[in-house]
Amino acid sequence: MTAVKDLTADQAERALIEKIQAGFTVESEEDMTPGYKKALLTQLTVQGDTELMSGPAYYLAARDAPTINSRIAVIAIVHDELGHANIAYRLMEDLGVDKRWLIYGREPHEFKHPYGFDQPLENWAEMVVANGFFDRAGICLLSDVHENTSYGPLRRALVKVDREEILHLRHGESWMRRLAKAGGEAREALQRAVDWMFPMTLEWFGLPDHLKRHSDQLVYRLKGKTNDQLRQTWMAATVPLCESIGIKVPAHYDAAKGEYVIDYPFPCQYDPEAKRWLFDEPITWDQVFERWKARGPMNQRYVEMIQGKADGLFGGRRW
Amino acid sequence: MIYEVFARKDHHQELKHVGSVDAADDELAKVYAWALYDEESWVEMCVVPRSAIIPVTEHGRVPVWGN
Repeated sequence: MTAVKDLTADQAERALIEKIQAGFTVESEEDMTPGYKKALLTQLTVQGDTELMSGPAYYLAARDAPTINSRIAVIAIVHDELGHANIAYRLMEDLGVDKRWLIYGREPHEFKHPYGFDQPLENWAEMVVANGFFDRAGICLLSDVHENTSYGPLRRALVKVDREEILHLRHGESWMRRLAKAGGEAREALQRAVDWMFPMTLEWFGLPDHLKRHSDQLVYRLKGKTNDQLRQTWMAATVPLCESIGIKVPAHYDAAKGEYVIDYPFPCQYDPEAKRWLFDEPITWDQVFERWKARGPMNQRYVEMIQGKADGLFGGRRW
Repeated sequence: MIYEVFARKDHHQELKHVGSVDAADDELAKVYAWALYDEESWVEMCVVPRSAIIPVTEHGRVPVWGN
């Protein structure tokens, strides 16, 4: 918790933290300390980049939609996600960050979205599990921010985002039920998607609390729940859903502990080419960060879809 | 230029601030606002250049609208 100590050592930082703890809402840059602004910009970058990168991933997967209506539904979701990215970036613009730089000025590896959105979604089952799992993770994270954030403009902006994410989630979950019920190949494809996407989302929530090195976002009340609490919230929704439709997941509820327990060495190694978790190869979180930093197989392609390909017909990164 | 976006859900409700857009001119601001803030079937929507807003409270010396 060294970062916390550094912050409270500074007079202005300590004063702001105390004000926030007493219920103060930060409304403008004038109210902020450098530490607060930095933590807020980090949070907004991750939020905006995650929304932005879900766009190309979902767009490519929409090609596998079984009907024209379901394809339109996914395209509408892509539209929503790009709108959510714009909302996060718009807030950052008011804090002096250039949106054009955010979108066109960065290299693919510089985006801060989770590793899950560096992966290809290759069929309809993966598309709907992305809605059921990834968008559920988004809701867990953002509804916590919505309820707890000390930054007024973000709290208000999330009203729209929360509403739309719930529609994406409903889309994902109702299709998961449908594919499970259909049986046969549809059901097998669903199970295969869940097999790699469930552990992928668990990892998304980041370092477990006992290893968490800093919590600027908690200190400034930019969020309310810890990583482990958020992971539990996510499992409390997804594990019962999968159990109810007869889809296996590597986690279960432990009544004695009163919490969900992961049934494999967490974290462990992942083979992105085979889309397979190597449960017999436990690794450290430093190794997880290395894997994330190296980025996944679709990172470049997705960013090029947003920016334009550098050597493409219309050129890329024109700003 | 930054425009603040206001919309009304139905005739019985107040006009409320729903967000902001960055646009080159009024026409584009209208298009961006309509395309981005489509979470409701608004009966009324308007955009106001942020520079036209006159703050009354002290806190409003800088825009606190955000989104």
